[in-house]
This record gives sequence, structure tokens and C-alpha cells, in this order.
Amino acid sequence: MLRLLCAATLAGITISRAFAQMAHDHKEVETCTRLSPACANSVSPAFAPDGTLWIAARAGNRIFVAKSSDNGRSFGEPRVITPENVSLDRGADARPQILIDLAGRIIVAYATVRDKDFNGEVFYTRSADGGKTFAPPQPLTDDAASQRFPAMEIDSDGSIFAAWIDKRNRAAALAKGETYAGAGVAFAWSHDHGLRFTQASMALDQTCECCRLGIAFAGRGRPAVLFRNLFAQSVRDHAILTFEGPDKPGPVYRVSDDDWAINACPHHGPSLAIARGVYHVAWFTNGRARQGVFYARSADGGKTFSTPMPAGDPDRAPARPSLLYAAGRLWLAWKEFDGTVTTVKAMDSRDDGQHWGAARIIAETSEDSDHPILLRRGDEAFLSWQTRKEGYRLIKLESRS
Amino acid sequence: MRRLLIAVSIVAALFALAGPLHAGDIKPFARGSWSSILAAHAGEPLIVHLWGLTCGPCRSEMPAWGRLLAEKPDLPLVTIHTDLAQDELGAVESFLAKSGLLDAENWAFDDRFAERLRYEVDPKWQGEVPITFLISRSGAVRKIEGPADMAEITAWLANEKESLN
Repeated sequence: MLRLLCAATLAGITISRAFAQMAHDHKEVETCTRLSPACANSVSPAFAPDGTLWIAARAGNRIFVAKSSDNGRSFGEPRVITPENVSLDRGADARPQILIDLAGRIIVAYATVRDKDFNGEVFYTRSADGGKTFAPPQPLTDDAASQRFPAMEIDSDGSIFAAWIDKRNRAAALAKGETYAGAGVAFAWSHDHGLRFTQASMALDQTCECCRLGIAFAGRGRPAVLFRNLFAQSVRDHAILTFEGPDKPGPVYRVSDDDWAINACPHHGPSLAIARGVYHVAWFTNGRARQGVFYARSADGGKTFSTPMPAGDPDRAPARPSLLYAAGRLWLAWKEFDGTVTTVKAMDSRDDGQHWGAARIIAETSEDSDHPILLRRGDEAFLSWQTRKEGYRLIKLESRS
Repeated sequence: MRRLLIAVSIVAALFALAGPLHAGDIKPFARGSWSSILAAHAGEPLIVHLWGLTCGPCRSEMPAWGRLLAEKPDLPLVTIHTDLAQDELGAVESFLAKSGLLDAENWAFDDRFAERLRYEVDPKWQGEVPITFLISRSGAVRKIEGPADMAEITAWLANEKESLN
């Protein structure tokens, strides 16, 4: 009896001490004495026309922008672009978006959490003076329903296409007593280099509400949006939609039949690249038909796709794929985890995704890490990866095939 | 000896009243927590439900677990909050209270290396919630992705109890 009581007492002390310690050591929101990429939770990169690297990074409830003239080895003074006391969307698939146009204007978008029911709101800001100053962030749309996961790309004429997950039609349906599964995908354009965006329109309804979108251009004024869709109410497999014109969303085509029937949030969005008339898609699924990271291609404008090709070691939890086309080569990168070590692997194809070289290890870490992101500077391909232990890394990918 | 025993009992009682072991406290789920949960409940049927505050289906489902716990106060239920995006424990605790789950054994992810915590639970699990693990007396695991059917849980539990007799 005595021994039991002592044990209970000791257990009480141990747990309370453990709690106090962890509350300071491992919390997602950190207080950095000096804001820098080292304390960022997620880092999104972009190259300026002069070749310098810019990042938009989230550290706790702040988003900052910083510039590197030495390929990410060191960064200049970070500029915080978010207002004080904002609650940011800190979900696994949420991350700031950064674009830099040919004139060096920097456009950043992000989502906040605006109420205690976790409804989101999407904001954007831009710098027209090379990153010296940023305008006060503005809502991308003035609707009151939830918005999350903004994604943006610049069209060949300089227009900016933005798309995000939007619940306005869900809110309207529920108010009328109707049912509405998931959320919609909304879009808007900026024709003045990110100063203003057009009124939002809905591209489609009743799709998965919890994953970031993939965007690429099939042609001028013709963005394609890759997303986790809802088939038969609860099957969360990927689909793609290509715009027929800037304001005319085209039909939805299924990318693959993975049969992932799940009434839960995967928080795991896809990657899309379009080059030389071929669509390239990569995604994660845990469906009945297949599990892991997969790649497929479409040579008919996103109507039909090749048989999904698995990427990575299925025993090492492959996740978070990123695709990039650069200088005649298509790259696919993803991360794997074996319980201790997280590895980013990449492979490349020189025939538009028909055949691939062997996957190889690009970088590793033994603590927590951000998603791997591929980006291009002219003909060069890079991996951008933020890891807790090593900090930010920009690694040039060299083809061996 | 008896005096010592009384003194220790008083200390233990004080801990029970005000200490972290009091019902309603949320334990920090860190590296190694999964195996300690399994060890603590070894040889008994165990229901582990993983959820997140920002997950819509989870928020709809939690009160059903609360009702089941009210019906069966001895329900061997462990809940684990996995949402690092919303890790304020006050919000987690008030949602558990609202759902009638303060008397369950409640844990919350408390390490930003969430991949590692998830891997310890199930190497194949990428963090989708809600998810429930039904762990038999024998250690056999049944995984339920998405909201659970409480009738299925009740039937499983009855079967587990029957297998003991």
C-alpha cells in the first residue's frame, strides 16, 4: 500500500514536471529572441528576376519576408508583414504564398483564423519597391464565410490567378436548410500586379475542405487547378479542372481512383506542373486501391491520366510530393520518415514523365521539418527545405540521367 | 510506520485533489507516450480516439463519445488531441468539457515533431483525424478511419468482455 502511494505521488510529480518542460521546449508557437528563418515553422521561396532568393515564412503567429543574396546561406533583415495579435492558420497544409513578378513586385498571401470555430480569412499584401515596404494586408475577398489555403500563380501576361477553399456556398446552403458536403473552390484575378483582385467567383462546389490546391497554366488565361475532390460524398480522391477562359471553369476530370473513403481531414495537398503540353500530377493517398505518393501524366489536356506510378519507399511513409519542370527535365521530390530520420528524395525524367531515373537522397534531418518545395531559377532546379535542426537549406538539384 | 503511512496518504490525497493526476487534466503526449499508454493498459481492452480541434468531423463526433462515456462510466477510453495548429490546452479542455469527456484519460500532442509522434502510434498514419484504434486484450488492433459508429464500439467492447469469461 505504502509503495503504491509513493509511486502515485512520484508519478504526479513526474507528469507535472514533464508538462512544464514540454510547454516550453516543443510548442509549435515559439518566441524567437530574434526573428530569423531558423525559427520559422514553414518557409515558402521565390526567386526575383535578378536571381536573389526571397522567402515568406511563418514563425508562430507572424509572417515575415526576407531576402538572401547567397542562395539561402544568409538572410537580410526580416520584415514582418502581418499585423499584431493575428491568429494565423497553422494547419499542416497551410503556408504563406509568395510570388515575384518580372518587375520585382512581391505578392504575399496567407490565411488567418478569424473566430473560435476556426473559420479562416485570406489576406494578401505586396511590395512595389523591391521588398522595402509592404502594403497593409487586405482581405482577398469580402465574404464572411470561411476561406483557407490560398494558392497563386502569375500568368504569361502578368495577371495573377488566385484560388482558395471557400465556404460561402456552404453557409448559404445550410442557412436554407439544404445539405452541402465539404467546401467550394473560389478564384479571383489581379490585372494590376497584385494591387487589387477581382470579385471572387466559385469554380466548383462540394469538394474536400482541408487540402491546399495545385495550380499551373495550360495556356494564357487558362489556369488548371488540381485538388482533393469529394466523390460520392466521402471518397477523397484527386480531380483536376482546367479553365476554358479566365472566368470560365471547365469540366472536372478525375485523376485517379484511389478509393480513399474517409470522413476526415487529410491536410495533404497535391502538386501540379504543366510543360510541353503535358500535365504532371503528384499526390498522396491512403485509399483502398493504393497508399503512398503517386505520379501520373496526361497528354490530352487533363482529361485522362496514366496509371498512377508509386514514388518512394512504401515502408518509409512517403509524403508531401513536389513537382517541377526545368530545362527539359521533370523533377519529383517528396519526404520519407522511418521513425527517426526524415529524408527528402528526388528523381527526374527527361522524356516528360514517361521514364524516370532512380530516386536519390537530397537531404536528411532528425528533428521536425517543413514540406520539401522545388523551385526554378532559369534552367536550374532547387530544393527548398526548412528543418528545425539545420535551419533553411536551398540545394541545387543535379541531373544524373 | 502507521504515522508515515498516514502522512504519505495525506500527500497523495493532496495530489489527487490538486495535482496533475486529477480527472480532467490533459497529459502531454510526447515521444514515448504511446508505448506508456499501451503498457499502462496492457491486458485490457482499450479504445484510443485521436482528434483535433480544427477538424470539423471530430467536433461533430466528440459528443457521441461523451454520451457513451456517460452510459458506461468504466469505458476504457483514451483521447489524444493531435492538432498542433491549435495547441492551446485551455481550448482543448473546454471542448472536452463541453463534450462530456473530462473524465476520460485525455492527452494532447505536445511536441512539434508531430510526424514522430504519429509514427509511434502507427507508421502508416499520416495524421488524418478523427481516427480510432480498438486494442484488444490480446493486443490485436482494429483501426477506424473517420467518425466511429458507437454501436460498433459497444459491440466490440461486449465481445471483449465476453472473451474474458
